[in-house]
Amino acid sequence: MSIVFDDVSVVYPNGTRGLDKVSLTIPAGEFVVVVGLSGAGKSTLIRTINGLVPVTAGKLSVGGTDVASARGRRLRRLRAEIGMIFQGFNLVSRRSVMGNVLTGRLHAQSWLQSALGLHPKADKEIAFEALERVGIVEKAWVRASELSGGQQQRVAIARALAQQPSVILADEPVASLDPPTANLVMRDLQRINRDLGITTVVNLHFLDLARRYADRIIGMRAGQVVFDGAAAEADDAVFEKIYGRSLTAEDVSA
Amino acid sequence: MRPKPPPKWPYTLAGLTLIAIVLVAGWSLDDAKWERLPQFPGEILQYAGQMLDGVLTWPGAHPAGQADPELTYGDWWLQSLRLMGESVALAWIGTCVGALFSFPLAFLAASNTSPLVVRVPVRLFFNAIRAVPEILLAVIVMLSLFGLNPMAGAMAIGIHSIGSLGKLTLENIEAVDPRPVEAVTAAGASWWQRIRAAVIPQMLPETVAFWLYRFEVNIRASAILGVVSAGGIGALLNRVLRGREWEWGGIMLVVIIIVTILVDQLSAALRHRILHGAEATAVAA
Amino acid sequence: MTQATLERRDGPVRPAQPPPSPLLVGGLLGAVAVTVVAGWAIDFSLAPVIEQWPTLMMILGEVVHPEWAEITDPSSRLWIALKETAAIAVIATFVGSLIALGVALLGSRVSAPPAVYRVTKSVMSVIRSLPDMAYALVFVAVVTGPLPGILALTIFNIGIVAKLTAESIDAVDPGPLEALDAAGATRWQRARVAIVPAVLPHYASYVLYVFELNIRASVVLGAVGAGGVGQLIMLYFNRADYPRLAAVVIVIFVVVIAIDLLSQLLRRRLV
Repeated sequence: MSIVFDDVSVVYPNGTRGLDKVSLTIPAGEFVVVVGLSGAGKSTLIRTINGLVPVTAGKLSVGGTDVASARGRRLRRLRAEIGMIFQGFNLVSRRSVMGNVLTGRLHAQSWLQSALGLHPKADKEIAFEALERVGIVEKAWVRASELSGGQQQRVAIARALAQQPSVILADEPVASLDPPTANLVMRDLQRINRDLGITTVVNLHFLDLARRYADRIIGMRAGQVVFDGAAAEADDAVFEKIYGRSLTAEDVSA
Repeated sequence: MRPKPPPKWPYTLAGLTLIAIVLVAGWSLDDAKWERLPQFPGEILQYAGQMLDGVLTWPGAHPAGQADPELTYGDWWLQSLRLMGESVALAWIGTCVGALFSFPLAFLAASNTSPLVVRVPVRLFFNAIRAVPEILLAVIVMLSLFGLNPMAGAMAIGIHSIGSLGKLTLENIEAVDPRPVEAVTAAGASWWQRIRAAVIPQMLPETVAFWLYRFEVNIRASAILGVVSAGGIGALLNRVLRGREWEWGGIMLVVIIIVTILVDQLSAALRHRILHGAEATAVAA
Repeated sequence: MTQATLERRDGPVRPAQPPPSPLLVGGLLGAVAVTVVAGWAIDFSLAPVIEQWPTLMMILGEVVHPEWAEITDPSSRLWIALKETAAIAVIATFVGSLIALGVALLGSRVSAPPAVYRVTKSVMSVIRSLPDMAYALVFVAVVTGPLPGILALTIFNIGIVAKLTAESIDAVDPGPLEALDAAGATRWQRARVAIVPAVLPHYASYVLYVFELNIRASVVLGAVGAGGVGQLIMLYFNRADYPRLAAVVIVIFVVVIAIDLLSQLLRRRLV
């Protein structure tokens, strides 16, 4: 599914401007990385796509559906098409890995099924396949809280995959991980994008990881898009534009 | 290799056992008259309607069927308020008694301020008085000392509060940061100086907040003590509701609800102020 | 003060000690005033302790010789009443806690829409403001025996468990909830999958806590004719049968302490 931002602005109830007239088109199947300082509007951008943050002005459509006007059942159906991965993994820590991955199937279950915890066989099959894709199937019945950070993030990716989404959003998915694990997780995301053709939008704090994995990089600053181009074009001058200062050794360490 | 899911039967078994216990409990109550259960909603609604009538009637009107023709609904309101005031007063005095005695005793019961030989008997004492319901204390000891009046209720609540406040206070004392205590000890302070300079300043706000919370609990307890005529609004409430004077009872219940909620709100605001200081209170408001 | 500052020309001025906060002074004066008024309202006097001391000693003299037969005989009134009290507490705790879980979900801003949770919260605070005794008194009017006791305690339990659980729900980690929202889950699915498992240990410990309270409370409720040990206490008290009363007190004492210890042990393992 393609994502089209047309002059989108977001103003939070407390007056903070999250996005300032952003226009973008992300075609289906692309692997896009959004970079910028914290507070630049990366998180806002990604959360408007599945309606977690409401758009205040402009038009945003995902796969032809208008996000701003979607409510209730229609919004949930749209969200089911979009998998999301978070910085803090956001797993239900007391449930098993399997239980967490199955939450990706909730949109396909009736309230009675979810009340009794009866998951159809087909849903379990989907969940197992998702776990196999991220290579963590042997932990299926372990409590989520007993896993390491990298393992938890892979479970979170499996949860997103279990939704059988057309779009995956990842909000700083590697910010809580050490560099080697971060690369593993980024590689998983890249592989999934290539194998399944899922449109992928990832927020990253650091430019060098972005250069390594992205098809396209979007640079943000103060709610505006200040760079939009192929990963190869993102040189040091672009870096200055995004971060407002020149490159230091600290920035490339990750 | 996909791993096998863990078995589910332990949860099923635990759930079924619980339900079985409840069913056995229900079945063992042979005079429970379960068949009367469906009547409750209707009858309670009817009583509630009559109570509401009493509450909504103009206070100057005269209720029907009373011995005294001069009596007005307003008299019922005033009488309820006065008795509820008595309940609040006896709860307050009871809380004061509890706070006064539990505070010093708690230092003798905390592991960081007291040796084992002192600690154990004091803790036993706290647990023992906590285990005796106020009503028993009132019935056996206080009524024979003070007779059928509010002092009996206040003292029953007070003694019971020593137990519960003592336990909470000693937990506060044990939760104190040990580093300042160590510093004061290193400076050559005596046992008493250590407590005064390093322990009390750390645990006082939480403890005072607990006193206030206990006051809220004691207001509810004081209503119960009235049933054995140990003062407060309970005695009359018991008589009026048993006499099925629903209009009168409704007025009493509304007075209890309003006064309790008001005192709760006031006490919660005070507790918040004590625990979080002026700035946090301003933000919350 | 000015004198001192003039003399000490070197170094910064020593600040004066600030006066105690007017709020603190006001609070203390207020507390003293309330105490005086309250003491006057209930005719505070400790004189009866001295005057009535012999009476108390006489009663206590009877109390220290409990009627052991009441305890040792398993078919005595005491054991029948005790079984009744236990059954009342078990049923009221089970039913009340079950309903309370649903009410708690309606009473937290995390799981319920704003209008619903505000209404639920205020209704619950009205319900909690009445003592269990008041409910028992009204229910006894419909029918006597254990049933009104069970109903009164059930309402009492709903009030407490729902309040505490709603507070736990308010504090639930918002991360998993956001993940579920992003996955297109309904409000109900969020509650079932992320909220209930997260608060379950707290909830279980609140349930144990009210069970403990119920054992004590059902002792009291009997006093208005709602069944259980309380009825027995009132009977022996009205007959001034202190030896039997003492037997009841001993058993209540042991049962309450045992349940206290047991539930503390369980709760420590839960949270």
